[in-house]
Amino acid sequence: MTELRELARRLLSEGTVNAVLGWEEGPRGARPAFVTTPDGADRLIFDPRCVHDLASYLSPRRPHLKKLGKVAVVLKPCDARAVAGLIRETQIPRENVVLVGVRCGGVLADPESTAPLSETTVADRCRGCPDREAKLADHVVGTAGAGFPGPSRRAQKIEELAAMPVDRRWDFWQAELSKCVRCHACRQVCPLCFCERCMADKSLPRWIESSPHARGNIAWHITRAMHLAGRCVDCGECERVCPEGIPLGLITRKIAQVVSDRYDFRPSDDPAVPAPVGTYRMDDPQEFIL
Amino acid sequence: MDSATPAAAGGFEPRITAFVCNWCTYTGADLAGTSRLQMASNVRIIRLPCTGRIDPMFMIKAFERGADGVIVSGCHPADCHYNAGNYHARRRFAIFRELIQFLGIDTGRITFSWVSASEGAKWRDIVNDTVTRVRGLGPFTAYRKLVVDPATVPAAKVTSKEVPA
Amino acid sequence: MARIGVFVCHCGENIGRTVDCAKVAELCGQVPGVVHSVDYKYMCSDPGQQMVKAAIAEKGLTGVVVAACSPHMHEKTFRRATAGGGLNPFLCEMANVREHCSWIHEDRDAATVKAVDITKTIVEKVKRNVPLSTIRIPVTRRALVIGGGIAGIQAALDIADGGREVILVEKDPSIGGHMSQLSETFPTLDCSQCILTPRMVEVYQHPRIKLYSYSEVESVEGYIGNFKVKIRRKARSIDEDKCNGCGACTKTCPNKKIPSEFDCGLGKRTAIYVPFPQAVPNLPTIDRAKCLLFMNRAKGRPDTCKKCAEACSKEAIDFDQVDRFVTEDVGAIVVATGYQLYTIGKDQAKPNIKGYGEYGYGTIPDVIDGLQFERLASASGPTSGKIQRPSDGKEPKRIVFLQCIGSRDPQKGMDYCSKICCMYVAKHTMLYHHKVHDGQATVFYMDIRAAGKGYDEFSRRAIEEEGARYIRGRVSKMWRDGDVIKIQGFDTLAGEPIEMDADMVVLATAMRPQPGIDSLAQKLSVSYDQHGFINEAHPKLRPVETNTAGVYVAGACQAPRDIPDAVAMASATASKVLGLFANEMLEREPTVARVDESSCAGCFHCERVCAYGAVEHKEIKDRAGNVLRVIAYVNPGVCQGCGTCQATCPSKSVELAGFTDEQIWSEIQALGV
Repeated sequence: MTELRELARRLLSEGTVNAVLGWEEGPRGARPAFVTTPDGADRLIFDPRCVHDLASYLSPRRPHLKKLGKVAVVLKPCDARAVAGLIRETQIPRENVVLVGVRCGGVLADPESTAPLSETTVADRCRGCPDREAKLADHVVGTAGAGFPGPSRRAQKIEELAAMPVDRRWDFWQAELSKCVRCHACRQVCPLCFCERCMADKSLPRWIESSPHARGNIAWHITRAMHLAGRCVDCGECERVCPEGIPLGLITRKIAQVVSDRYDFRPSDDPAVPAPVGTYRMDDPQEFIL
Repeated sequence: MDSATPAAAGGFEPRITAFVCNWCTYTGADLAGTSRLQMASNVRIIRLPCTGRIDPMFMIKAFERGADGVIVSGCHPADCHYNAGNYHARRRFAIFRELIQFLGIDTGRITFSWVSASEGAKWRDIVNDTVTRVRGLGPFTAYRKLVVDPATVPAAKVTSKEVPA
Repeated sequence: MARIGVFVCHCGENIGRTVDCAKVAELCGQVPGVVHSVDYKYMCSDPGQQMVKAAIAEKGLTGVVVAACSPHMHEKTFRRATAGGGLNPFLCEMANVREHCSWIHEDRDAATVKAVDITKTIVEKVKRNVPLSTIRIPVTRRALVIGGGIAGIQAALDIADGGREVILVEKDPSIGGHMSQLSETFPTLDCSQCILTPRMVEVYQHPRIKLYSYSEVESVEGYIGNFKVKIRRKARSIDEDKCNGCGACTKTCPNKKIPSEFDCGLGKRTAIYVPFPQAVPNLPTIDRAKCLLFMNRAKGRPDTCKKCAEACSKEAIDFDQVDRFVTEDVGAIVVATGYQLYTIGKDQAKPNIKGYGEYGYGTIPDVIDGLQFERLASASGPTSGKIQRPSDGKEPKRIVFLQCIGSRDPQKGMDYCSKICCMYVAKHTMLYHHKVHDGQATVFYMDIRAAGKGYDEFSRRAIEEEGARYIRGRVSKMWRDGDVIKIQGFDTLAGEPIEMDADMVVLATAMRPQPGIDSLAQKLSVSYDQHGFINEAHPKLRPVETNTAGVYVAGACQAPRDIPDAVAMASATASKVLGLFANEMLEREPTVARVDESSCAGCFHCERVCAYGAVEHKEIKDRAGNVLRVIAYVNPGVCQGCGTCQATCPSKSVELAGFTDEQIWSEIQALGV
């Protein structure tokens, strides 16, 4: 943590950046922090409660950050993948941000948690995560635990669902998706949902019915999943912020499996690696096409 | 040709919406007509310039509007009038198909096919096979009921707090 | 409020027999927004079209739906009629109730219900149609012709004679192509060079043709009417302005044993060479792979031989010349890169193509291919037109021709017919007969394909008057025994095996596209088939256009072609090019994509999926000139209207005119219960 604070202090005092975006101790656990003065650097923390994907703040949809000019952002390896996505999709110029990687051995599911990081408390998405540090980062600080082995419970749940008869799977998802109140928190928190105007808010035509009923809800969640195919970095934020507790991670994880199995693609923190949707191979599998 | 006779004895007749590209499948369906190939009358074609133009939302909307099945068809690989529209569409469709399968929609309700401008007979077979298959699956009431009958939605058994940690 | 007119056509009995057209008109008349709905026996007839025009005026229609045949048949007719009635033509659409309904169903009730559905769907679409106007883009009225064979020469001359400038690019040191290698041509037996060389000279002297020989197309940017082509002018090692073509350099070159490409390896040339006496331009070229000076330089040794430079009185030899690049702006491109022959050797360009082990993989010296025979028979050839076999120079008394070597042979990867071989083999037997009176020519053939003016007569003459012996069947094995070639085959008409001795064997090998055609096609964004032949836009109706607007195709790079075919195609491309150049502005269908600048997030997924490079980056600036956002812009001149960008756009910020989301949404909506 000293290393992180000293780096932040240096970046701010030397004028390299006008703000450092990291985490601090809040009244209810860890929370995102904007540090704009060298002295403020002492507020910064990094521990397993720092679950938030701060890459979300870099999205051009959030102009208040843009006003600060050049900023530094503290990133876990998964967050770095999101930054790579933003660079790849021309949302931020690489030279406008300083990326501070923190070594990470997994985080908790909940930033308010007081439990120590363990096999039982670790966020499910961290199980089997191979990355300990962000290759994209300009600076890497801290030390990391060994991480936690897979498979994740989600992967097991996906297999379990896949084994169900199709109508029981339908029932499972209808039970889940019917809870959706269409608050769009999943969209707002997603670092890669950066559209100026979301398709769900477009009324001519209205592809996605806006009132929270089961028919509009499934259309919305299918759309969200399709838009994240090959782009989702598995930061887990959509599921964390869902007020209804819908297991959105199962959908994003499933889509990630599909692009991995079919197109041998895994989200990368290298912006030069093209996303699988928007590219093609002439011999892509097409066993489902008659 | 069982499938060619509509509404036999008042049985269930599926409503099928087809999204086809202008250059291959639409023209192939034209050829089926020119060749007077008889087929089931359940399919309504919506013409798009290219399979690349076919958005998964079209299929969702078709189900919302009461379609029991959907056909998506375009040019064979390497045959796209626009060079590569079908290659991009193929990836999009592959992901979409696995997604809706995961969400509990029977993928038997969607036929993906490549039908060239010279494959009138293949178009007839695609139409008849899809109609027969969807007739076997029955009406897609599950989707249609999503709004009209909230009571059919089963109560939540699990929450995400229980599923992934 | 929309005021739609519905016009239901009976198409005589074609639609009316299975669809109750009056009922369709009646039911569609009840659709909100439809103010006029009628049926008529022949809507496409003049009175039918008049009905459309009259209704537009009388009822104040805002849209026209014609329920009739496929839009591929009569959309143009009715859009013209709509325009004639004073309405924007793009407010008219066809509902296909013939091909997609009346012709494929027998049950009248079901077909009528379906016809109503189809028509209602289109009514809903047309309600959302907006007037579109044709796009006008400027045209650079100069053409690029790639390939200086007979097709390229003809295209260049026709375009230039039509008053437009032409850039002709040829990869070899001279134009002329394969036709310049031929001895005589079928079916007239006129001398190939005698009819070709005047055209070559004409190209060279034409004030409107700029010839880049020994040059290749490096890159192509832009779109119809506005291409920017970068051309690599390969280093000839000769200053073209100084050289007067005296030929002193080639005489002094010590390396005289290089197999001549022009003579298909049967003759020799020097390292600094002019490929053949009538070459255009008449400039020597140094083959750096064979020149002693360059071979030494490659090994890091000092320059030794400079004999050519010493012999040159004009100081035109430039050993330090490097490849140069020029950029030319053109409005149209003709691809005429021609063919190569399939070699029967073991090494092939593509792993899926194999040579013939049973013919010794081309290792028997007196087994040659058709082009080599042309050189032997040519008066300008290595033997001055005497038929002599390569191994010992003897005159072959027994010559055997094998047709379909590689062609029509799916196992060799070429299932197509090479088209010209039947004819040139017949010609070869005649040329042989004329030169070796006591010789016997034998031909093994699969079929004789002699479709063409004077072609069948020609091949009959070979058999009936010129003594060629034709055996239907294939040769299964060939080997060398002393100085004779043993041939084992099967006569399928007699139904018996056949064995014979030959002094020389000529293989009519398959025509294949030039190597590198795939990379050229990719530069031009044109598609090609599995063999590498360029695809035409439509096999019957658009045979010289490609799927990229402004790029045309002529000659054997599209499919095996003979000279008259290649010339006809070339003239056809010239007429297409001149048609394109007839106006300063080009009109294009307005069905192109347009970006909603207010909602585009600039993620450029559209750019990634666009096969035409139509998506550009556009900067949105404030008054002080600071860039606020970078968003997508679709260049309407380049966009072909596939709509892949729209389906890909996450925020639906790009719309394809004519197939907007609102239109498709309404169509789906109209099909609902």
